[in-house]
Amino acid sequence: MHLPQPALSRRSFLKGATAGGLAIRIGLPALDAMFNISGTAYAATDAPREIEKRFLLWFNGNGISEKYWIPSETGADYPITPCLSPLATLRDDVHIITGLDSPAARLPGPGNSHYPSMSALLTGQVYTGRGAGGASFDQILAQQIGGESRFRSLQIGVSQECFGEAIQRNMSWADRDRPLPPETLPNRLFDRLFGEKEGGWVERQKSVLDAVSEDAERLNKRLGSTDRQRLEGYLSSVRDLERSITSLPPEYREVVERPTEGGDLRDWPRIAKLQSDLLVHAFASRQTRVASYMLTKCQGLARFPWLGHTAERHHEYTHGQVETPRGARILRDINRWHVEEFAYLVAKLKSTPEGEGTLLDNTCAVFVHEHAEANAHKNNGLAAIVAGHVGGLKTGTHTRLTGSIGDLYVTVAQEALGAGKLEFPTAEKKLSEIV
Amino acid sequence: MSRLTRVFLLALTPFVLIAGSVEEDQALFVDEVYPIFERAQCRLCHDDNGIATATRVQFPPEQASSARLLQFGYALRPVVDAANPGESLLLTKPTQKVPHTGGQRIALGSADAATLGRWVQALAGISAEQARGRIAQLGGASESSSGSVRRLTHAQYNNTVRDLLGSETRPAATFPPEDYVDGFSNQISAQAASPILTEAYNGAARKLARAAFLAGDSHGLIPCEPSGPGDPACRDEFLREFGRRAFRRRLSEPELTSYGALFSAAARQDRAFSSGAQVVIEAMLQSPNFLFYGHEDSRDHRIASRLAYFLWNTTPDESLLEAADNGQLNSSAAVEKIARKMLADPRAQDSVDDFLAQWMRFDRLLLAVRDSRIYPEFSVELAASMAEETRTVFRDIVWGGKDFNTFFTADYSFVDQELAKIYGVTPPAEPFGQVQLPASAGRGGILGQASFLTVTSKPGESSPTERGKFIREQFLCQIMPPPPAGVSTQLPLVTDEMPLNNRQQLSIHLSNESCANCHRLIDPIGFGLEHYDAIGKFRETQTVEIRPTVDEQRTKRKTEATEYLLPIDTTAYIQGIENSEFATPREAGQVLASDPVCRRCTVKQLFRYALGRHETEADQTSIDQVFQQFEGSQFDFRELIIAIAVSEPFVGADQ
Repeated sequence: MHLPQPALSRRSFLKGATAGGLAIRIGLPALDAMFNISGTAYAATDAPREIEKRFLLWFNGNGISEKYWIPSETGADYPITPCLSPLATLRDDVHIITGLDSPAARLPGPGNSHYPSMSALLTGQVYTGRGAGGASFDQILAQQIGGESRFRSLQIGVSQECFGEAIQRNMSWADRDRPLPPETLPNRLFDRLFGEKEGGWVERQKSVLDAVSEDAERLNKRLGSTDRQRLEGYLSSVRDLERSITSLPPEYREVVERPTEGGDLRDWPRIAKLQSDLLVHAFASRQTRVASYMLTKCQGLARFPWLGHTAERHHEYTHGQVETPRGARILRDINRWHVEEFAYLVAKLKSTPEGEGTLLDNTCAVFVHEHAEANAHKNNGLAAIVAGHVGGLKTGTHTRLTGSIGDLYVTVAQEALGAGKLEFPTAEKKLSEIV
Repeated sequence: MSRLTRVFLLALTPFVLIAGSVEEDQALFVDEVYPIFERAQCRLCHDDNGIATATRVQFPPEQASSARLLQFGYALRPVVDAANPGESLLLTKPTQKVPHTGGQRIALGSADAATLGRWVQALAGISAEQARGRIAQLGGASESSSGSVRRLTHAQYNNTVRDLLGSETRPAATFPPEDYVDGFSNQISAQAASPILTEAYNGAARKLARAAFLAGDSHGLIPCEPSGPGDPACRDEFLREFGRRAFRRRLSEPELTSYGALFSAAARQDRAFSSGAQVVIEAMLQSPNFLFYGHEDSRDHRIASRLAYFLWNTTPDESLLEAADNGQLNSSAAVEKIARKMLADPRAQDSVDDFLAQWMRFDRLLLAVRDSRIYPEFSVELAASMAEETRTVFRDIVWGGKDFNTFFTADYSFVDQELAKIYGVTPPAEPFGQVQLPASAGRGGILGQASFLTVTSKPGESSPTERGKFIREQFLCQIMPPPPAGVSTQLPLVTDEMPLNNRQQLSIHLSNESCANCHRLIDPIGFGLEHYDAIGKFRETQTVEIRPTVDEQRTKRKTEATEYLLPIDTTAYIQGIENSEFATPREAGQVLASDPVCRRCTVKQLFRYALGRHETEADQTSIDQVFQQFEGSQFDFRELIIAIAVSEPFVGADQ
């Protein structure tokens, strides 16, 4: 078992520290120490590496209050709205987009309106009655640009409150009816990304997982085709795990504290920020290029004690007293909180230096909901926010587009992220307004 | 050839045309007509789990083969009137020329109606007997199986590591939660692998293996005294013993060799026998042979695993493994004997509780939120008491061998202090002691229990729609189709000019045709339970609070909320069940208890839970047999469990 040996620094430093087989826990030098002289690439390998392009799909359940979200005017001087106000200081880093269609949501199929809208939003295909109709966009993209990373993609979540169906709980789908659940516990996410590794850990894991793979292959030979397919799914996730263990990038131990265990696990603003911090570190330490972030669930039932709204849950607030001033204000507050958490992440990306600029310069984050106006379950005229500057994304403006969510995804992938040829069912045209 | 000529020829020269026309029919029905039905969403009601179960039109399952679809096409012959094709029900029902519960699904005079008309003509041209002949000619269309290998549920994982390693740590509590699909959280179709679950298994295996030898071999995992770290005889003895319990069958030679090598390398490196054992445990706990069951290479061992996980929710014990080792599960009688013995074991309670919790969606109940201004007494603890009540009643019926229909009609219950207050009954001496529900009250059976009434309510108010839907889906196994695309799901605003109770507000569903198609099947059931509020407390009237709207507030026309006490009308019925009028939960329970669709639904629900999948057409005969046994036992739920445990779909047909 050979790890890639970096030219300098932390990996060899760490190795020395583990000679006695003790667990290691060492503060590391700041990230910029690892750049080459021109500051454009990491210096820890023999050849300077290109700075990676990252993509994040950010999701929030239920939908928005259009009145408090959509700016009354388009263009660079759009007036900021109550829901978007947390982005006021990041105006030049975001593109407010409205008017996107999600045509697959209106194809006939089973499920209440959230289910088909969710499946259409993420996969461009019809809800199957059990799950999404195909691979979600982040996974389609990860197939193209995720392959060289330790994790092909990451799924991160915050609030777990929902009715419990697969289509509500998951935004990333490997394929039809194959959800990729998000990691919602900060401790576990930390351990995945930065967990302390005892001496000999990699070698031991490798021999254990080799034995598991051998077992799985022996078993597979005996099974019928449907069962074999499912077992192969497990086997391939074991191989992914093995790869993530044996391909630790030199920067995997970013200077980051392990979140303390316990605390209020329903304090979503706290969890959201912990998860955002970990995600930014995962990007910065080159562990993945593609991630999804599910702040709340589809048709989510989050509660909002920190906003003072505790009588109902999110989904009920979107349908109950929305016509009353109090009901409308509650929805506004909830939507503004969503944007607050998104703004936190954007600011964090922006404050993380990379090369000559910041991580935000090399990232595209797209913020979506399954519906536009939540109360009406509206699945056309969706509002999205595109943040970041990778590949010359246009920012600092509000655009009312004629096009679909699929057009947005594919334009971002091909024009900004350089993903090459890639298909999404509802994509038809390039959106020149975006890049 | 014109349509008319074709019909004429068909009538005159059937032999010639049968040979050529199956292909033609296939092109017409499968390629042109069937997609129209799918667009109109006919299948969602007209299948075994639809609300139109009792009609003559029963669609094949989703993704059926072309041959199966064409068989279905011919099976529509009874709803075609050969003498007067234009008046065939196959045409007049979906276009609603005659009343159709599902409303107008295909527009009159549309191109789709014309295409359907061509198929009606084709069917009119053959006799009913010829249609049956062609169905037979197309043969038994084979069905794709969803497979039979199952992953341990999280509860099964926890129980299994407890029995295997003595670990009470319940590691699966922090695994990614299990999704509900098709009504349960243990379905094969929701058990796809995912990276974070695989990593969770990896982390749990590491911790469990490490903990196993922290205090020496406190669980007796090593069956021999090793003479040294590498003692090969003791190593193999350990591998055989532990491997057999972990994989629920004997290890094969290649497995012994490969795990033996893993063991020896670690034992050598650390110069400790227990290091070898630890790494083997860590690997085996991640092996698909451990995490999945139902793949064991002998049928006896497959049956042993399935029985153990269905009846005990945990791994087979020594005596069950021995029975499998010795080939003692090789006959239906032998399986039944062992299943009965297992069911009499206290471990069987866990599994029955687990089924109930999923069927009644206790997960949703425990997540319920109530508006504390309206329901100050509601809390997580109260929700847990509600679940405990239903669990206690269920146990009383199942383990007391009572007629299972009592679940719907019981005039008694088991409550604690808090629930007694909500029900207005004298609290029992002990928490969850038995109480009698007064005959004068309408409360009785599951529909009168707070768990059901709460899980089907919104935070501030009951929901007749949710209640009706829950009854359709959980108790009648009838899946409700979704609202038609593009329909507004907005209800009228309740105003001071016209304060409305739930029934009046929902009546918009019934006056608007596109809503009424489905809602007349749902809401009128819930109306009968309206005397029970969002936590299941009896109320004489419905309190409706009307807050000022944005405009009213601005113009100061109205600044304060107004409150109305509105009378409740609980006249109700269940469309599709004859003489089903009721006005209380107890009466509704009696309607369900005597309805054959409901009784059969209980069988289907347990079948789905037991097999981890939905039933298919191929299972229908077995389900009929299981139902007969259940009925023959005066609806003893234990007999239902046994009947499923010995049924062919459960144990597997292969020898």
